[in-house]
Amino acid sequence: MTPVLTGVLSLIAMVVLIFTGLHIAVALLLLSFIGVFLIRGHFDPALAMLAQAASDTIQSHDFGVVPLFVLMGLLVSNAQLGSDLFDVANRICRKIAGGLGIATVFANAVFAGITGISIASAAVFTKVAVPEMLRCRYTPEFATGCVAGSSVLGMLIPPSLLMIIYAFLAERSVGEMFLAGVAPGILLATLFSGGIYLMAKFRPAAVQEVSFKPQVAPMNFIEAAVKLAPVLAMVGLVIGGIYAGFFTATEAGAVGALAALFIALARRRLDRQIFWQVLVETGRITVSVLFLIIAANLYSRMLALSALPQGIVSWMTAAEFGMAGFLAMYLLIVIFLGCFIDSVSIMLIVLPLLLPVAKSLNIDLVWFGVITVIAVEIGLLTPPFGLSVYTVRSTLADDRISLLTIFRGSAPFVGMMLLTVLILIIFPGICQPFN
Amino acid sequence: MESLSDGDSDVGLGAYGKPQPFGLHHVTAWMNAVGTLLIFVLLVITNLDVAGRDLLNRPLRGTTELMSVGIVVVVFLQLPNTLWAGRFPRADFLIEYVNKRSPRLAAGMQCVFHLVGAIMLTVLCAAIWPELFRAWELGDFFGAMNDFAIPLWPVRLVMLVGSACCALTFLFLAIADLRRVSDPVRS
Repeated sequence: MTPVLTGVLSLIAMVVLIFTGLHIAVALLLLSFIGVFLIRGHFDPALAMLAQAASDTIQSHDFGVVPLFVLMGLLVSNAQLGSDLFDVANRICRKIAGGLGIATVFANAVFAGITGISIASAAVFTKVAVPEMLRCRYTPEFATGCVAGSSVLGMLIPPSLLMIIYAFLAERSVGEMFLAGVAPGILLATLFSGGIYLMAKFRPAAVQEVSFKPQVAPMNFIEAAVKLAPVLAMVGLVIGGIYAGFFTATEAGAVGALAALFIALARRRLDRQIFWQVLVETGRITVSVLFLIIAANLYSRMLALSALPQGIVSWMTAAEFGMAGFLAMYLLIVIFLGCFIDSVSIMLIVLPLLLPVAKSLNIDLVWFGVITVIAVEIGLLTPPFGLSVYTVRSTLADDRISLLTIFRGSAPFVGMMLLTVLILIIFPGICQPFN
Repeated sequence: MESLSDGDSDVGLGAYGKPQPFGLHHVTAWMNAVGTLLIFVLLVITNLDVAGRDLLNRPLRGTTELMSVGIVVVVFLQLPNTLWAGRFPRADFLIEYVNKRSPRLAAGMQCVFHLVGAIMLTVLCAAIWPELFRAWELGDFFGAMNDFAIPLWPVRLVMLVGSACCALTFLFLAIADLRRVSDPVRS
């Protein structure tokens, strides 16, 4: 059996096992271990590689960025910053058709600047925006779809857990990837708002049951500024601090998490028990992500041994696949996997295999990362397993609103995400407006 | 120590989040708590370093090194309890589908998955053991010799203990699954 064939077979076995429900990290470790053993013919090299993957992969200052940004995101979710943002956005958008929907997108886009996990955005705005939209007789489908859909901004606009993981896999700096997500994030938020406006204009019945403008409490400029100040200060501190060169991404995460802690304490939104739960949850997310990264490291070592990525490159050259063909295939694979597997796992399964191919096609890896993150995030909204939709459902805990309703409501947002990917493919410069 | 896991509202299918033989879940909950505290410590020292460097021009020595090995320690301390809480990422659509039709078959599948996990984590222990031995024998350290050097053997020891507890947790999950195969109603 040639190494390439071994690589192909272990990849197929891995996908089958993952789809039957084996834990993804275990599947990656198991098949990579067997793959290395078959290629090299001994257990010793396989054990040595496993030891290296476990000891060296995450033993780096850079990986501190994961728990720190996760902690910051969970703390700001508890600090009532989301509802302040929504109040201000709601006030600004009150006279526009579909105004509450646009306000949700707007608030999410700004909130994304202080959180890096979409489930946090989805949970916060399910509590803040959905009840208000339902009160104003928006349809449940639109209200929940809007929250689930705009939650994807959380992981496109920096900070972003997915950008962090991509940066590790593509060996780019976290700061560089963060910067690349800003303009596409604003583009996506604009498309979302435009789409909502068009829906409200041309299919009002799908948005609102009866036309009813909400009573918004008056708010002067100073009140609005007071509500926005903590969020904007944090965005400036964290994202600004990285670009001004005051601190590394890891340090920015630590400073941001501490700032979030102070804001939550000052607002009396945090007692000892909640803080402990937040810390435990931070650990849970960190461990599941970083252990996957260890497993994926062994997997990429196995792939390198099997020379499978080079095999794909020569096969694609022979078939005259070209860049368009590769991108189409890549996006299809990622979006398909997104229906079943969580975002982080998809990136760790697909990228070690296809990043070398993208490199050989001279694709700009920063741009490729932005495309990847948006494509992976489509999986947050697609059935049967769409994490954002599940989060909205479980946070809402309202039996009248089914998963199907939320999936249907999210569908237009999936369409707009695909459109964004297309625009970014046609105008790749959007990812690097500062160059 | 059950209160530690209150954050996990969704403990998933079957055997997760339940008491384990020999109080293993208590042991792993304590390990998890130490890891949780360590995350907070890393947060504090990183801030002290940044503040010291930018405001007082006196950085905190060893912050980078502590963060590097600290993150490894956190992951392996918390690995077993994260598994116990059912928080290892997986695609569970098929197993949920099977569970609705035949809870016994689903429990059987879970049992196989958990056994495979137990085997793989045991292999991981076997891979880490020589690393621990080498770090102890040669006195390996992380960082610069004259500045801030952290001995690596305690890190490797935590990795070994964490992986071993994780392998055991997998094994006990598999045993609990096996009970559900024979008697799906009782447990």
